[in-house]
Amino acid sequence: MKIRQLPDHLINQIAAGEVVDRPASVVKELVENSLDAGAQRIKVTLEQGGKRVIRVSDDGEGMSRDDLALALQRHATSKIASLEELERVATMGFRGEALPSIASVARLDLSSRHASEKHGWVVRARRGEVPAAEPAALQEGTRVDVEDLFYNVPARRKFLRADKTEFAQVDQLLRRFALARFDVGFELEHNGKSVSVLPPAGGEAEQERRLQRVMGKDFIEHAIRMDDQRGGIALRGWVAEPRYNRAQADRQFFFVNGRAVRDRLVAHAVRSAFQDVLYHGRHPAYVLYLELPPEAVDVNVHPQKQEVRFRDARMVHDFLYSTLHRALAPAGAGAVRPGAGLPGQAAGPAEAGRFAGGGLAAAYGRQPDMNLPVHEQLAAYATVLGAGGAAAAVQTGAAERSGEGPVPPLGYALAQLHGVYVLSENDQGLVLTDMHAAHERITYERLKRRHAEGGIRGQRLLVPIDVRVGETEADLAEQRRDDLAGLGLLVDRSGPESLVVREVPALLAQSDAAQLLRDVLADLDSLGRSGRVEAATNEILSTMACHGSVRANRSLTLAEMNALLRDMERTERSGHCNHGRPTWVQLDMATLDRLFLRGR
Amino acid sequence: MKFSIQRESLLQPISQVVGVVERRQTLPVLANFLISAKGNRLSVTGTDMEVELITSVEAQVDSEGEVTVPARKLVDIVRMLPEDVNIGAVLEGDKMTVSSGRGRYTLATLPATEFPATDQVETLEVIKIQEFKLKNLLDKTSFAMANQDVRYYLNGLLFDFHDGTLSTVATDGHRLAVCDLDIDLGVSEERQLIVPRKGVLELSRMLSEGDSLVELALGKNHIRLVKGNTVFTSKLIDGRFPEYKAVIPKGTDRHIKLGRGAFTQALQRASILSNEKYRGVRLEAAGNSVKIIAHNPQHEEAIEELEADLNFDQIAIGFNVTYLLDALVAIEAENIVMELKDANSSCLITADPPAQDRHVVMPLKL
Repeated sequence: MKIRQLPDHLINQIAAGEVVDRPASVVKELVENSLDAGAQRIKVTLEQGGKRVIRVSDDGEGMSRDDLALALQRHATSKIASLEELERVATMGFRGEALPSIASVARLDLSSRHASEKHGWVVRARRGEVPAAEPAALQEGTRVDVEDLFYNVPARRKFLRADKTEFAQVDQLLRRFALARFDVGFELEHNGKSVSVLPPAGGEAEQERRLQRVMGKDFIEHAIRMDDQRGGIALRGWVAEPRYNRAQADRQFFFVNGRAVRDRLVAHAVRSAFQDVLYHGRHPAYVLYLELPPEAVDVNVHPQKQEVRFRDARMVHDFLYSTLHRALAPAGAGAVRPGAGLPGQAAGPAEAGRFAGGGLAAAYGRQPDMNLPVHEQLAAYATVLGAGGAAAAVQTGAAERSGEGPVPPLGYALAQLHGVYVLSENDQGLVLTDMHAAHERITYERLKRRHAEGGIRGQRLLVPIDVRVGETEADLAEQRRDDLAGLGLLVDRSGPESLVVREVPALLAQSDAAQLLRDVLADLDSLGRSGRVEAATNEILSTMACHGSVRANRSLTLAEMNALLRDMERTERSGHCNHGRPTWVQLDMATLDRLFLRGR
Repeated sequence: MKFSIQRESLLQPISQVVGVVERRQTLPVLANFLISAKGNRLSVTGTDMEVELITSVEAQVDSEGEVTVPARKLVDIVRMLPEDVNIGAVLEGDKMTVSSGRGRYTLATLPATEFPATDQVETLEVIKIQEFKLKNLLDKTSFAMANQDVRYYLNGLLFDFHDGTLSTVATDGHRLAVCDLDIDLGVSEERQLIVPRKGVLELSRMLSEGDSLVELALGKNHIRLVKGNTVFTSKLIDGRFPEYKAVIPKGTDRHIKLGRGAFTQALQRASILSNEKYRGVRLEAAGNSVKIIAHNPQHEEAIEELEADLNFDQIAIGFNVTYLLDALVAIEAENIVMELKDANSSCLITADPPAQDRHVVMPLKL
């Protein structure tokens, strides 16, 4: 068999196999081009879920007549020109493959008008042939028409799903873009009907409106706003407090420099931050934007650019973890949630963030006057319910209150229900607290803090444990011996494929050290660091906390109940027990009124 | 099957056998006793597939036969009957009726054929040993066995027959206890058997302080104890026990001599304020005294000071206090010696003057 150079058309089809596999991936490439062209408004029109027609038009800078023909050549791009530029790509695309690939598997019309030209030009590419450009009537910008996707690739066409499914994919994709670029307006039309119109969102209020459209109202009500920055990298966006969680991981959007990615490292960091506040098997929801210098991240690792590689993976992981972990810490009793029947119900995430922040400060007791948000709410509450309601609230609670202090977030205990729940009254209404779950979290946090103060104690082993590992793992263990020792694992190499554990953390002396070591090594290999030892330790502390907490059916006096509530307000993450179940629920007056059909 | 027996003669053996019957089962017949009446004897068998206990008593057998009945229920019924009554039992169909006085109890049965029989025990060697000596070997060491460790061979007790000596050894990977019996039992070759945890505890329960001879049959996969009318069989753990002789420190030069009673009590008091999970205590030996220091996460502190004989300047070393106390309780002498090398190496604890048992404890890094 002779070796031949493949024809360009075939090369493009092969390249198309990597980049284009369904209508949504065509839309992705085209919208990214529009964004790179500086478009302010992008309109996507589909017919039959994009199988028949995909049209993307924008008001970007457009292309001149010469560029138009070149744009359909393979590896032709305006986005980068040199290796240096590739190393710090700031545009969405850079490979110069999208248009020729799409042209090789569909009928493609590329029409564009550059700002400097009087009229537009159109190129109609068919079967890899690119004829000369013809004049066309066009507004400034670019329009790409893709018809009959995969008309010449029956194998691919067979893999396309129903119109509805394909459309849903595009819709989801545009949501992602909409979250990535608030400054750009998006419009989606399907089978001649307008599906969604998202105008450019400049101000904060508009941004929140867009967020609500995409993520739903519940998300916003539970969102904590993030805005953190350290050493050249920044994390912004919104993360939902743990009590808002989902059965699927479908409300998770993560953007690295404006690019939506699904990265293992990112997923792991987020998961660790949610560890022990999220109920088993549930998924958190977030919209997060990670910004870091373009040269610190390599996007040229995945043809569809869904994965990225960080130059300093460990640093990024630690930053994500610590920032999120800190942000979630006060998401408990101390954090006053908006939307609990107060006038601030429609309060956007900005306010949510502020309130949560206030709760954090109050929880630490750093600033004694940080009860301010509660004051505000008290006032707001009074105006809504009328003076009578507020007065009644003050009156009933008066017995327990010393002086004229504001009502604490979890209120004052009223009674205990069946030895399980504590009923208390706060400004919003009734609070139900699961006594055991709450006390468990308080004990757990206390144990964790004390354990951290004490440092890791090592238990030497009389009979060292032999662990069989692969050679690369053994090498890794040898290289990272000091890191392992820092975790309390004293490990030596005893052969090419075996390790011997001589010391384990005292708290974990009864657990399976070989399994622990293997897990730690796997983490070190893939993530550069490992939280396994900490996780295993926390598990033991969690069990201890469970045994050391008040159980159901133990009757408490009012003073004990109030002490428990005050402890909860001071404790981080007290909104959830160690297993992620909520510890308290607010039934506000509005909800109670609804139960009795009042005020209709 | 039909028999009658006096309450006390039945209660003693069935109470003993019920010990091996697990409370929760997946295989229903394992919750039952196998009862068989033959000649003028009644034999009762209980098993959990790992250990098996058979005991027999004299009874008036009217018709022979065998069947299985719920173990715990039978024991509870017999226990609560008044003293010295006569108990009659008769099997009718698949029900066994136990009657005494005017009470009748009808129990569900399962056929005897379903009861798992012990595999044939190939006996390699039979030894005879005085009961209290065997019990002593077990009691001095069994507390150090591991419990549900992934290294399954640690979840048991090693019987090591070597050089005319029988040593029992137990370790959980953090501490080790060994006890030697220097009498020639006539074992022809060196042999190592690991008896599983449950078998050891059951053996220890069966043995008393008496000095009569019991018979120990060593098989390839089983060990069997015959004591009077009772036969106890346990499977062995198939595995290699760690080289225990290598981890017993030899020729360490730092010795601390302490009064056992005072040391034990001081440790028990100090342990109240040690970390409840890993129970660390710190020993600081200097001059002619040993200081015991314990801290807990609440920043509470216990300090005890004891007089001691030291043959060196000073040392500071941490231990899990539970391991120390276990060893000190096992040693019965008035004085003990701790032999140390440094704060990272194992510590040997023995009676002073040396007795049969030795204990090794690994330090805790504090």
